[in-house]
Amino acid sequence: MAQTNPPFMTGVPELLLLRLLEQQEMYGYQLVRSIRQVTDDAISLGEGVIYPALHGLERKGALKSRRKAVGGRTRVYYSLTRKGKQRLADLQQDWQRIQVGITSALEAPAHA
Amino acid sequence: MPRPNFIGLRRELLHSGISPRHVYRAISELDEHFEDLVYAGLEDGRDRIVAERNAMDALGDLGAVSRAMRHQPELKGWAWRHPRLAMFVYPLACIAALPAVPVIAGVQHAPQIARWAICLLVGGFVTALMFLVLQLSITLT
Repeated sequence: MAQTNPPFMTGVPELLLLRLLEQQEMYGYQLVRSIRQVTDDAISLGEGVIYPALHGLERKGALKSRRKAVGGRTRVYYSLTRKGKQRLADLQQDWQRIQVGITSALEAPAHA
Repeated sequence: MPRPNFIGLRRELLHSGISPRHVYRAISELDEHFEDLVYAGLEDGRDRIVAERNAMDALGDLGAVSRAMRHQPELKGWAWRHPRLAMFVYPLACIAALPAVPVIAGVQHAPQIARWAICLLVGGFVTALMFLVLQLSITLT
């Protein structure tokens, strides 16, 4: 099983949340399930910590929330704002730069 | 029945200055999430106690939730983010609200307020009468 929140995960949950919410509005439980699905269980979050992340992103203006009654239960649905879309684009760019850097470092011959 | 200690988490977050709006919403979301996990466990054929235990494990350490919220200054209430302004605004708001307090309280507690008001008036009248008698006795002797 994947380690929960290893130190190098900084920024990854934010990127995943923004990416998933770009496609459709979702509530917390649905988001956790989707993260598991899209990452093939490679990233296993302590499920409760998703809410501080969502609230933080909402306060920064990247997300907006609304209460919606579904099947007799009230859910808090989150969706991306324009600011959130910009933040997602920036994070994707950063992530791709890091990915290229790490790949080239791994492929390069080791130096003494 | 094992259940996460949401009351303890709520108290901890409120004491550390997290805005009540975020605290109450996060607690309700965690509670809903826990219910969803239990329901998923029951659907998989587990008995309720096992499903609840698994749900608690999946939800994770509530201490981590608390730390994650406390480490985000933007989730703090405005009085914690601007303490000097709050020290100025809160007393002013209290003073401004004072005249309205008896009116608000009076709606619900009219008989008690009437009793206290009559007692105070009688007490004031008796005291004034005693002072008057004392003054007269000093003047006339």
